Amino acid sequence: MTAVATPDKTARRGVAPTQGLRRPRRYGRILLYVALLAGSIPTLLPFVWLVRSALMQDAQMFVSPPQWLPSPFQWSNFSEALTTQPFGRYFLNTLVIAVISVLGTVLTCSVAAFSFSRLRWRGRNVVFALLLSGVMLPYAVTLIPTFVMWQQLDAIDTIAPLTVPSWFAGAGGGVFNIFLLRQFFLTIPFELDEAAYIDGASPWRVFWTIVMPLSKPAIIVVTIFTFIGTWNDFLGPLLYLQSEENYTLSLGLASFQSMYLTQWGYLMAASAAVIAPIIALFFFLQRYFIEGVTLTGIKN
Amino acid sequence: MRRRDLLKLGGLAALGASAAACGGSGSGSGSGGDVELQFMYWGSTFEKAAVERMLKQYQQKHSGVTVKPLYTPDEYDVKLNTLVASNRLPDVGYVPLAMSFRLGEQGKLVNLFPYLKKYPQLAGYLPDAYLWSGQDNLHGVATANEIELLWYSKSAIAAAGVTPPPADAASAWTWDQLVETAYKLTVDQNGKHPDEPGFDPKQIKQFGISSSITYGAAWYGFLRSNGVDFADEAGKKCLLDTPEAIEVFQNLQDLIYKHRVAPGPGQLAATGDDVPGTNILLKTKRVAMVVDGHWSLLDMNESKVDYGIGVLPKYAEPFTSTQVAGASAVFAGGKHEQEAVELFAFHNDPRYVDLFAKGLWMPQEKKYYEDQAAIDSWTKNDLHPPEFRTAVVDYARDHGVPVFGNRVKNMSSISSDVLTPALQEIETGKRPAGEILKAAAPKITSMLQGWQHTQDL
Amino acid sequence: MRRLETRWGILMALPAILGFVIFTIGPMVASAFFSLTDWTIGGSPSFTGLDNYTTMVHDELFWKSLGTTTYYTLGAVPLVLIVSFAVAMLLNEKVRGLAVWRTIFYLPTLVPAIANVVLWIWIFNPDFGLLNSLLRQGGLPGSQWIYAESTAIPSLIIMSTWGFGNTMVIFLAGLQGVPRHLYEAVSIDGGGAWRRFWHVTLPMMTPTIFYNLVVGVVGTFQVFNQAYVMTEGGPNHATLFYVYYLFRKAFTESEMGYASALAWTLFMIIMVVTFLMFRNARRWVYYEMAGAR
Repeated sequence: MTAVATPDKTARRGVAPTQGLRRPRRYGRILLYVALLAGSIPTLLPFVWLVRSALMQDAQMFVSPPQWLPSPFQWSNFSEALTTQPFGRYFLNTLVIAVISVLGTVLTCSVAAFSFSRLRWRGRNVVFALLLSGVMLPYAVTLIPTFVMWQQLDAIDTIAPLTVPSWFAGAGGGVFNIFLLRQFFLTIPFELDEAAYIDGASPWRVFWTIVMPLSKPAIIVVTIFTFIGTWNDFLGPLLYLQSEENYTLSLGLASFQSMYLTQWGYLMAASAAVIAPIIALFFFLQRYFIEGVTLTGIKN
Repeated sequence: MRRRDLLKLGGLAALGASAAACGGSGSGSGSGGDVELQFMYWGSTFEKAAVERMLKQYQQKHSGVTVKPLYTPDEYDVKLNTLVASNRLPDVGYVPLAMSFRLGEQGKLVNLFPYLKKYPQLAGYLPDAYLWSGQDNLHGVATANEIELLWYSKSAIAAAGVTPPPADAASAWTWDQLVETAYKLTVDQNGKHPDEPGFDPKQIKQFGISSSITYGAAWYGFLRSNGVDFADEAGKKCLLDTPEAIEVFQNLQDLIYKHRVAPGPGQLAATGDDVPGTNILLKTKRVAMVVDGHWSLLDMNESKVDYGIGVLPKYAEPFTSTQVAGASAVFAGGKHEQEAVELFAFHNDPRYVDLFAKGLWMPQEKKYYEDQAAIDSWTKNDLHPPEFRTAVVDYARDHGVPVFGNRVKNMSSISSDVLTPALQEIETGKRPAGEILKAAAPKITSMLQGWQHTQDL
Repeated sequence: MRRLETRWGILMALPAILGFVIFTIGPMVASAFFSLTDWTIGGSPSFTGLDNYTTMVHDELFWKSLGTTTYYTLGAVPLVLIVSFAVAMLLNEKVRGLAVWRTIFYLPTLVPAIANVVLWIWIFNPDFGLLNSLLRQGGLPGSQWIYAESTAIPSLIIMSTWGFGNTMVIFLAGLQGVPRHLYEAVSIDGGGAWRRFWHVTLPMMTPTIFYNLVVGVVGTFQVFNQAYVMTEGGPNHATLFYVYYLFRKAFTESEMGYASALAWTLFMIIMVVTFLMFRNARRWVYYEMAGAR
């Protein structure tokens, strides 16, 4: 982990957000687009297959050799699948968990990152290195005791086990976020802090009014990583949620799979519907996302 | 672990309260004589609707009792284990069979033996339905009866001009008759059969038969019919490496790789999560005959398949697996054991649950197989075809053997660690069945701990 | 000021430190204790010393699952690294519709695990699945994919490679941090694209590659979902991944003590592997400033 926690000066150098350094020659450009196209076909094909299956009648799906176009288009798969189970409810549950987790993670991780990057105190680097070592810990090690702990707190079947850790810097995986934010904070000129301190500002004030507003890209990255992680989490909800009314989308989809063993059209439609919102979200945020990671410069 | 109510996280009190309302065996309100029970179960959406109707009826007949359903369609064993760990057991519910013995031994399930006198209905079940975790310790019953059958597509049979599988045990096919018919029913994209030159095994339009190798209930009847059991009488020695057992599995493997009349693993096998159901297989005529459980009847009717029911082929005496279902039990520690036992007796009673008449379940009470009026009460309807009486009711009563999975101790470890992997290897066809079974049987023997306790009432 | 900084510094790091103690150190210690007990769900733990660990040595499936997981890791990690590095290089060029391309390549990462599994079951189906359909249209023989022992792990490796988006994003970030003047220097010397790649991009990217390698190995060693939802460890234990085996022991067979021992063993294995990777890293990872490690 020594290599991961690298000093600040290189990162502070900053990088212009323009990409592309040179203009490749024409044939090079054509080759580039061919490569991109060739790469995107296998990436997209599974999605095409999903949508195609979601619009088919069961009988047509099992024909050999497989057919590519649904006939007829079974649009009702979507309406049927989404009304048989309270997917709206699952959506809301997932959203609540995701939002609480994102808020907690962003807040506690950035506060910690601020402390580890811009405040000098004894033992800081030792503590940070220790936290970073947590990344190496398999979740399987903590899985069982953590489960027992929540059970003793009588928190099974509540969202507490799924959200509370995020308010403590996201536990294990959260360290990655602290690391990312810390790297970004290091690129912000220290002169700003010093000026504020001379004016009598508290560290909190510096954090909140100077560092945070300048760190939007990094915060968006943490937001998206956390959001996707929570949204797609399966093991956590599987262990901790029991009542159907508390299910998340992942869990709902898994139970849907068990309930509609024979109705694959529904299952495909439900899967497509679960994927859709997150793709939409990403599409709108992707610009900030890539920029954020880039600026943060996860270097060494 | 003792349960200690440590400091509850203050901010979560509201959440905790809402969770407590739907969990915990002791969640009855206590005062005012109101009784609140919790019923935990799994199943398809259809079963869910039926269980909800049953619970509604129960509450109508028992004023002052409310029952909360805890529907858990997925990962039931994981969920139930977490409930056990957190001491939040429901009052009544389904229990995966292997787990029911463990919970019974741990005293987590109510011993129903003392209640048999009080509720004579409970005493009238098929003997194989009872689940014992020790002398006079009756920890549950199999929720419903289920047996394995040979389903077929009538139109596929008619198109090939073959005789359909017989519907009574007395005239059950031999294995060779099954294979012969399967040949005629298997056609590739060009209409060729496996025994014709130019047959393309990669492009099969319709398979003759599908009979699962990895699903114990599907082959246990064959095993018994060939005169051998899963383990010896003491339950300490696995008999899957005997010539009789090897013959059964070699025959199953040959259906796929030698005769090429059956789909291979993952292809279109009838059981498992990742394949179409038997109803779709028959409806699309991807497979002409399928060995599958009686429960398929519901889906057959729902998806309007032109199906017929036959008995399984035989080696010597015809046999089929029975009691192919999960367990039901009353969980210990609840405040209202009496009411819970009443609900238990109610929950699979054909008078109140329409899953019997609809074709998902078969009754556990003996009279539904013996008394004409009782038989008619669940089988005389449009959803049960004419051959149902001989192919299912009589077949189950006279030729049923309870499936070994319910009766062998330590079965879940045996199954996941040795048996299922070995069966999967047979299914992939890389080595002959005999070789695989000869390696697996001693391993199973070393894990065997005897048969589960059984006793007469 | 110094004092103020210390006070605030500790205060602001407190949630993270507390989280580390509560959700990492605490469970680790507890897990170590459980691993020394015989404990079934519903019962209470009884101390058995190192019994679980000695059982493990003779547990065929423990070794099997370790082998399976190693095989998977050795296949999946390099493949993901190569593919995501290549795509990141492409996306680092000035191309039209960059937003669309980025979204396309990141898309698979967004698919929830369960939906992913449902989707791939269909892609892998030997009879009516996408892959065999394509292969046969191209006149090639199909495969049994996840349904045969020999192809099960390679199939899952293909599936995991599909979700290379996160690794790609990090490579992209690294690529944009490569100082321009270095490329210019090579160009002035008359070097072509290959030399630029070989003498600038690759060396400058070694820290990022190393980072992705470590994160990839640690993550891949803990693979679980595919085995749990898709293959259930089959056929014939071909996909019996370590964490899946552990989970099965813990939550379906409810042998919590043994499962805890499995967990600790995994922890030690990962520690050793990570340590070796770091030791080895000195030989090939390039650091800009000597001594700034």
